[in-house]
Amino acid sequence: MLRLENVTKVYDGGVVAVKDVSLDINKGEFVFLVGPSGSGKSTLIRLMMRDDLPTNGDIWIAGKHASDLSPWKVPQLRRSIGTVFQDFKLLPNKTVYENVAFAMEVTGKPRSAINSQVPQVLKLVGLSAMADRPPRSLSGGEQQRVSIARAFVNRPLILLADEPTGNLDPATSVGIMRILDHINRTGTTVVMATHDHAIVDAMRRRVVQLDRGRVMRDESRGVYGSSSVVEEPEEPVDLAVTDDDGTTNPASAETVLDTDENPAEGTPDDKVTSEPTELAATGDAG
Amino acid sequence: MTGLSYTLREAFTNISRNGLVVLGAVLAVFVSLTLTFGTLVLGEVVRINTLQWAEDVRVSAYIRDDVSPSGIASMQAEMESWSEVDEVFFMSRTEALAEARVLLANRPAALRVIEDDPSIVPPSLRIKPVDPEDYQTIVTRAEAMPGLLKVESAAEAIDGMISLRDGLQIMTLFLAVALGIAAVALIANTIHMAIYSRREEIEIMNLVGASNWFVRTPFLLEGAFEGFVGAGLAVLVVVGGIRIASNQLTDLPDFVNIAIQSDYIVRNGALVLIFGVVAGLVGSGLSLTVHKYLRT
Repeated sequence: MLRLENVTKVYDGGVVAVKDVSLDINKGEFVFLVGPSGSGKSTLIRLMMRDDLPTNGDIWIAGKHASDLSPWKVPQLRRSIGTVFQDFKLLPNKTVYENVAFAMEVTGKPRSAINSQVPQVLKLVGLSAMADRPPRSLSGGEQQRVSIARAFVNRPLILLADEPTGNLDPATSVGIMRILDHINRTGTTVVMATHDHAIVDAMRRRVVQLDRGRVMRDESRGVYGSSSVVEEPEEPVDLAVTDDDGTTNPASAETVLDTDENPAEGTPDDKVTSEPTELAATGDAG
Repeated sequence: MTGLSYTLREAFTNISRNGLVVLGAVLAVFVSLTLTFGTLVLGEVVRINTLQWAEDVRVSAYIRDDVSPSGIASMQAEMESWSEVDEVFFMSRTEALAEARVLLANRPAALRVIEDDPSIVPPSLRIKPVDPEDYQTIVTRAEAMPGLLKVESAAEAIDGMISLRDGLQIMTLFLAVALGIAAVALIANTIHMAIYSRREEIEIMNLVGASNWFVRTPFLLEGAFEGFVGAGLAVLVVVGGIRIASNQLTDLPDFVNIAIQSDYIVRNGALVLIFGVVAGLVGSGLSLTVHKYLRT
């Protein structure tokens, strides 16, 4: 789904942001890009969405070679990529519903599809009740869920998230991760750049650790720090399929999306406040 | 057709959102094109009048008394063979006297001199040039012929007319180019501001994969619309101006004609409108090309 071969990115002025990175991310994978600020996480995300081209090396995004793709075909590629950012990037003069519908409107989707898809995705992120509110009246976590709904409403093959929980408190972050996990379970490849230890350690997904533009570690079911430093939790916490009462719900992604008893529905922020105890065990998020 | 309705809605939403800036651009186009169109029309008035006067441009070759009628006929035949010459006709002394009586009706003293001695009004060949500007060539060639007293033309009057006409044409061209550039620049600036004020939406459109045309068309439409409205106002003002002028200026001298063919107005009015739309498209196109929020 995403394939990087010996990718190097040097910015104007000679700053080497990414150096000789090779990665192969398969369909349906959930990958964390971790590392300190300046390690090249955001640059990799931008390369993966073809917002920028590598100085050297090759990138294939959903089967398309990024450097060979003509600029006029970039929009078509972008429709198969959803993007989520730390700063939400919501339009303040549109309601929650309109912000999500915008992604379908501007890609020429028929009105009937918009009318059926937008409520469904708002339900998935648990914001059905807030459809008509302006983004500024929402909490940070709610705003980020709107931006995830917008990224997902066109059912992309790949979802790229650059520090999606960077502005959110740990409890709210859990709600966000729950939704990203749902989306991943529909078959969407998710790549998330983060430096949130707690989340990475709790999810136990593939971890690609970057340091000064190089891949230092690429580990499936990994944790944030090297395994010797961070104490591993006994059981990997699966945020998405853990219900309020703690019982594990092995429902498939499709049933999760279609069922009325969506775990993210309702008041997720209230719900997740009961869960950080699980995260606290894995270490400090800061 | 959500695409089309979206495009139109966005174009007009933006016009209403940035009302003052849009008004500024429309006024700039309006003033530019009013001046340009006005100068064009003025040039046309001068052209029509110089055409009329040029109709009357003649070179007069006065004939010596000792030339026989057959000699005059052969001179006339020779002149008619010149390529610069349209036609030549002979004016006898009697006809010349009749003309002088008309021309000098207000100057009895001068007329009396002629009446006293009709021999000072010689017979002449009146030569009509094909192109009024060629009169000097005809004068030179005629002066080389024997049997002529003097060759004359309304040289200064013709030169004055021609230089006025050429001057107006150059001025029109210069104004049209300078003001056209100004109109394009002002529309480009308006669209630049429109893009800036919508940079967040454009960023998201680029993120979610809106096609390049989808992002750009509302701005092109907006520019074209502003150019069209400005040009439309200019046409209305100039046409109105012509109407008022032809109604008010009834006591002009007979030889000045301000009646302009309506097909000239229609043809050039349409050109001005097209120019307005093109200026709008070029202006917004320029903005779209250079704007950093639109780079992919």
